[in-house]
Amino acid sequence: MTNYMYDATFEGFLCCVHAHYYLGKASNILPSTRCEQISFLDSVEIKTDPEKSEAVYRAIRDKISLYDLRRVYRVFLAEAEQKEMQLLDYIRLGFIKGKSVSSYHGHPIVRNAELLEKKVTQEVCRLKGLVRFSVMEGGILYAKSEPDNDILELLANHFADRYRNDPFIIHDLRREKALVARGGHWYISAFQESTEQRYDAGEIAYRRLWKEYFENIAIKERTNPRCQRMFMPMRYRKHLTEI
Amino acid sequence: MYEKLKILAESAKYDVSCSSSGSQRRNTGTLGNAVAAGICHSWSADGRCISLLKVLFTNNCVYDCQYCVNRRSADVPRASFEPEEIAKLTMEFYRRNYIEGLFLSSAVEVSPNHTAERILRALRILRNDYGFGGYIHSKIIPGVDKELVESIGFEADRLSVNIELPTERSLGFLAPQKKPNAIFAPMRQITNTLIERNALKGPGTMFEGMDLNNPAHYLKEESNAYLLPDGEPLSLSRLPAQRRSKGKLKFAPAGQTTQMIIGAAGETDMQIIKTSESLYRMFKMKRVYFSAYIPISDSPLLPDRSVQPPLAREHRLYQADWLLRFYGFTADEMFDEDHPFLDPTLDPKVSWALRNISRFPIEVNKAPLEDILRIPGVGTVSAMRIVRQRRVASIKYDDLKKMGVVMKRAKYFITCSGKYFGIKSMKPDEIRNDLLGLGDGEQLSLFDQTIVGAQSIIHSGQSLLGGGYDELHV
Repeated sequence: MTNYMYDATFEGFLCCVHAHYYLGKASNILPSTRCEQISFLDSVEIKTDPEKSEAVYRAIRDKISLYDLRRVYRVFLAEAEQKEMQLLDYIRLGFIKGKSVSSYHGHPIVRNAELLEKKVTQEVCRLKGLVRFSVMEGGILYAKSEPDNDILELLANHFADRYRNDPFIIHDLRREKALVARGGHWYISAFQESTEQRYDAGEIAYRRLWKEYFENIAIKERTNPRCQRMFMPMRYRKHLTEI
Repeated sequence: MYEKLKILAESAKYDVSCSSSGSQRRNTGTLGNAVAAGICHSWSADGRCISLLKVLFTNNCVYDCQYCVNRRSADVPRASFEPEEIAKLTMEFYRRNYIEGLFLSSAVEVSPNHTAERILRALRILRNDYGFGGYIHSKIIPGVDKELVESIGFEADRLSVNIELPTERSLGFLAPQKKPNAIFAPMRQITNTLIERNALKGPGTMFEGMDLNNPAHYLKEESNAYLLPDGEPLSLSRLPAQRRSKGKLKFAPAGQTTQMIIGAAGETDMQIIKTSESLYRMFKMKRVYFSAYIPISDSPLLPDRSVQPPLAREHRLYQADWLLRFYGFTADEMFDEDHPFLDPTLDPKVSWALRNISRFPIEVNKAPLEDILRIPGVGTVSAMRIVRQRRVASIKYDDLKKMGVVMKRAKYFITCSGKYFGIKSMKPDEIRNDLLGLGDGEQLSLFDQTIVGAQSIIHSGQSLLGGGYDELHV
């Protein structure tokens, strides 16, 4: 039994799966940024090797299914302790059950993966609605966000198509990176908040209009803060224009 | 502009529909696309989702419908937008990701045609001048010319004609200027145009696997009996899945909807649900929305201002509506002449199951999907999971909870590999008492029942009332 450390990338994680099968069983898999949590004596640093990660990638796709490969990737983007070991369990079960693994809804390993995946897909769904752009000087759209999970990539195609003719930036403040897109193409890179931000001339007026609208569309006789909170949790409200 | 937006949003807020679902389109213009599942952008203080910029063109109305906040005789501030203003505002909000599109409705200024022409002008500016590709829902005002309905349909994703009241009597009573035929004519036209263009989809899973674009569904002009409960289901021919037309200009790809006011004119739940069912069956509407009447007028014909809006009743009606569209139920199964109202203490599926207890328990490992869907506590997602898992492994009792089944309700109505976990006698009264947490032999008096029941629903059902329906289930 060995503890494996990896570079926190998806490819690195796949190499740990490879190591589990070819070097010795894994007792824990951790990103090396969190290595202080385990003793160095019985831990091994796994170098990310494109050949090995590619092999595991293909094995999951061909021996389990494309659906499950996608699920594994989405679960990997979740912010959760021990997600690596839960994923390893899921992949191991998948190699035994084959493409029907996702049908075992009552199995605790499958159930765990479903729950983590739901956290990610639900947040993607929410943020598609809750991201708020500000029009900056020069017409660039800029949005701040602090998602729980690392989901910028899953938002990319949606927004890149929608704002095909508007260059935009979605900034993940928590992870200090950003989705940058222009003309339907996008990339993700490290990003620091700039101290000098100048808004477009009309920006403040439209924010006020939106706030005005938001307050007047509610039916007073039906006020229901609990219901509002369920759909729009407090933690997302920091970056909303209307609240 | 602030004042205008305030007045015209305030006037539009009683329109229920907020859905932005049913259209899938990539961005081929300047700005915007449409996502089939719809996207909610915000939730207002009443917990209802904000998906579209919902405004009235004007609240200057020549009609005097008693239930309406904008009726001619009401003393409210009035305002009107210019088509250009609406288009610009939609673009700027959309660009900042505040909204998914525009929901444009209007009071009747001058005449229905005059109003519809202004709506059409705004939509054309938005689509043609600005190249807007987002979602548009447009209200069709009863009495509008056919040509205008058709032109608006080519710009909008979804159209709606509000029926407002579920019986001809209440319509004549509260909205004397709206004639049933003027409401049904555009509804019929929309459905027929969709059939001609081979693009009629229908509500939920009600017509799954059936070809709705068969000429047999074409609605003829002489049949006007839509308000009467329609007992006989139409016979539907089964045909292979339809072919989609490509490259043509699309007419209202997200279909049509309507809305009804609840609790303004004393109709029973049975009348409301039967009317909804016939709207689904005749016009293949995507949705029929309900809106609990909020007392806004001192008209002697309507509930007093002190009356609370019937939110709990609206919630139960929506549950019944879901049973119609996604669970294969018919209105006749949910009501009979002795029970024209839904039970306020139990959801309509449980009530139905208790009345038909001889059909239970259902074996989850064997029963067909249609039967699984009828088990209280089982939703469409958990039903699909049950059917998926049992192809590869039998379902154990503990698995059901993990699949999302609400065992508190389901346990009385199922067996798992032959074992039963509910109340052995299977007596409806005992199950009912157990579900409501009442002791043996204890019974709520009729009076207590309505009071306690309504409160407990308001409490437990609150999270669902009013919001989020659309985007979660298309």
